[in-house]
Amino acid sequence: MIGRFTRAAVAVTALGALAATAACGVDSGDDSSGDGDGGKSKALKVGWSTIYLTPSWMQQTDKMIKDDVAKLKGEGKIADYQVFNANGDTSQQIAQIRAMIQQKYDVILVDAGSSTALNPAMEQAVNAGITVANFDSLVTSEKVVRVGTDQKEWGRMMGQWLGEKLGGKGKIIAFNGPAGVAVSEERWQGAQEALKKFPDIKVAANVHSEYNLAPAAQAFASAYSANPDIDGVFSQGGALSAAALQTLVKQKKKMVPITGENYNGFLKLWKEQKANGFSSLSTAQPNYLGVIALRAAVAKAGGATVPNQIMVPLPKITDDTLDQYVKADQPDDSYPIQPMPQPEIDKLIGK
Amino acid sequence: MPDRVATTLRGNLDVVGLGALLVVLLAAYRHYDSELFTPASITILSAQFLPLILAAMGQSTVMLAGGIDLSLGSVLALAMAVFAVRAEDGVAVAAVLALAAAASTGAANGVLVAYAGLPPIIVTLAASFLWGGVTLVVLPKPGGSVPAGLVDAYNNGWNGLALPFVVIGLVLLLWKTVRTTRFGLSLYAVGGNEHGAYASGIGVRKVKIGAYALAGVFVGLAGIGLAVQTGSGDATIGAPYTLNSIAASVLAGVSFFGGIGQMRATVLAALLIGLLTNLLLFTGLSPFYQLIMQGAVLIVAIAVKTFATRERTD
Repeated sequence: MIGRFTRAAVAVTALGALAATAACGVDSGDDSSGDGDGGKSKALKVGWSTIYLTPSWMQQTDKMIKDDVAKLKGEGKIADYQVFNANGDTSQQIAQIRAMIQQKYDVILVDAGSSTALNPAMEQAVNAGITVANFDSLVTSEKVVRVGTDQKEWGRMMGQWLGEKLGGKGKIIAFNGPAGVAVSEERWQGAQEALKKFPDIKVAANVHSEYNLAPAAQAFASAYSANPDIDGVFSQGGALSAAALQTLVKQKKKMVPITGENYNGFLKLWKEQKANGFSSLSTAQPNYLGVIALRAAVAKAGGATVPNQIMVPLPKITDDTLDQYVKADQPDDSYPIQPMPQPEIDKLIGK
Repeated sequence: MPDRVATTLRGNLDVVGLGALLVVLLAAYRHYDSELFTPASITILSAQFLPLILAAMGQSTVMLAGGIDLSLGSVLALAMAVFAVRAEDGVAVAAVLALAAAASTGAANGVLVAYAGLPPIIVTLAASFLWGGVTLVVLPKPGGSVPAGLVDAYNNGWNGLALPFVVIGLVLLLWKTVRTTRFGLSLYAVGGNEHGAYASGIGVRKVKIGAYALAGVFVGLAGIGLAVQTGSGDATIGAPYTLNSIAASVLAGVSFFGGIGQMRATVLAALLIGLLTNLLLFTGLSPFYQLIMQGAVLIVAIAVKTFATRERTD
């Protein structure tokens, strides 16, 4: 009986020690920033809460923000920067925002896991005097600075280009993302608006697929075998475009225009097939959305007026500018992008 | 007299151990957040932990009856969606609908387990896709809305009262009452020794269905709590709760084989897991190391707990 007590006591002590180590193992960095007395020019404590950190797009965004933070640290504008990864758990993201409020962060960046569920937490942060900037995956709250792209415009731009490229007539396959997903629906809506102007363009098939290469290849192959005589493809995602183009190449069919995105796998294939007459227009969800959100938030926290909604223009990758984007030495699953020049960022955030 | 204290202690080894650990965590937490014990902090934290605590109670109920529920996250999201979609027409009606949805999905799981004689892990895995699909039909994209007054009262306190705290107290009271009924006793009996329970005249199937339905009520409450906390519904938000609720139950000492475990311990364990993840956010560790730390602490905690209480199963 005594033995069990001893064991329990040992166990609790061990656990306690472990928890204490976990808690205190890392120096909290706030001691250094405690006695800043410079009013508005005080260096800021910045945190980024993201729903995912591991996908390649997020990794690139992470790197871009870190580089910019290093610059701003050099200018004395940022004192501390932390990344919080919710790993797909939206409740965890709420906890992260709350933790940042308690720790008196000055700026919170958010790439949201839900368009609605984070609103109360973010608005609480705003009420506590914290500058909150949301980018990429946007929320519905109007109390935070939102930095994103216009997904309808994405579809419109692609539809317009395809209509013109085909001289206003022909048969196309519409290759969309998953049904019921907001981004996919919005891009397709935009495309339909643009295609209305070309009444002689017929949509032979409307195919849905996840934004992944393998399912996309299967979905496209079956639609294409039913409609081998198409003149073009409206595709709204890079992996989808890569799947469509691969199918044409594998089956040694005539090249038709396919719209795309800055998915490196597609860009590589595009470059390779340009000599065979392949042509495309691609755009991107630019990674510098994160940098713009950071700059906007830092400016706002410093007292500047910043627009609450910042729509970032979609980049255009054409047959002529393809070479600036495609990265032969990088994996297919990456998203090459040119950084946005600082003056343009300043213009967007109203400096 | 000391003997009696010792006996009580022995009987509650899980609760005492977890309680001690909780004290350590709270002390560490206070190091980072000096306002931890203010009413405002307690309200915010209890609002945040309520869904996990209730979900873990649901999971423990099923585990006590010798089962497991992998569809818990989907059912939670379903209740959340039903509540968020209907809340504008009246919170009470919406809550009843959400609870009814969760309890009946739970009962349906129970029927499949009890009558089809299929392993719970398979049945509830399949059910997780089923209920996940139903949730998407109810709420295809994030939305719905909860009256702002309620959201505010829940998250920031109502006349200085931490509502989530009260809810947890009430639910524990409910459990205490259930536990003393014939059904409550049968639950432990069925989980501990199904054949023995059957031989002594307990309706094993009914008890199992009842256990899954009761778990559905707890999970439904968790879903409503999450909807009120976030002011909306989202079909994808429930998934992580499945494994977190199992982790909390195991940490609390609820046996995978059924029949052993205390609900008080489950509440403490869920609280511990919530506090631990929050605490790691304060440490300034890089995100990937936070995940490693979280996993390591859980493994060590469970291993130590098993080591400390091993005699019980000898």
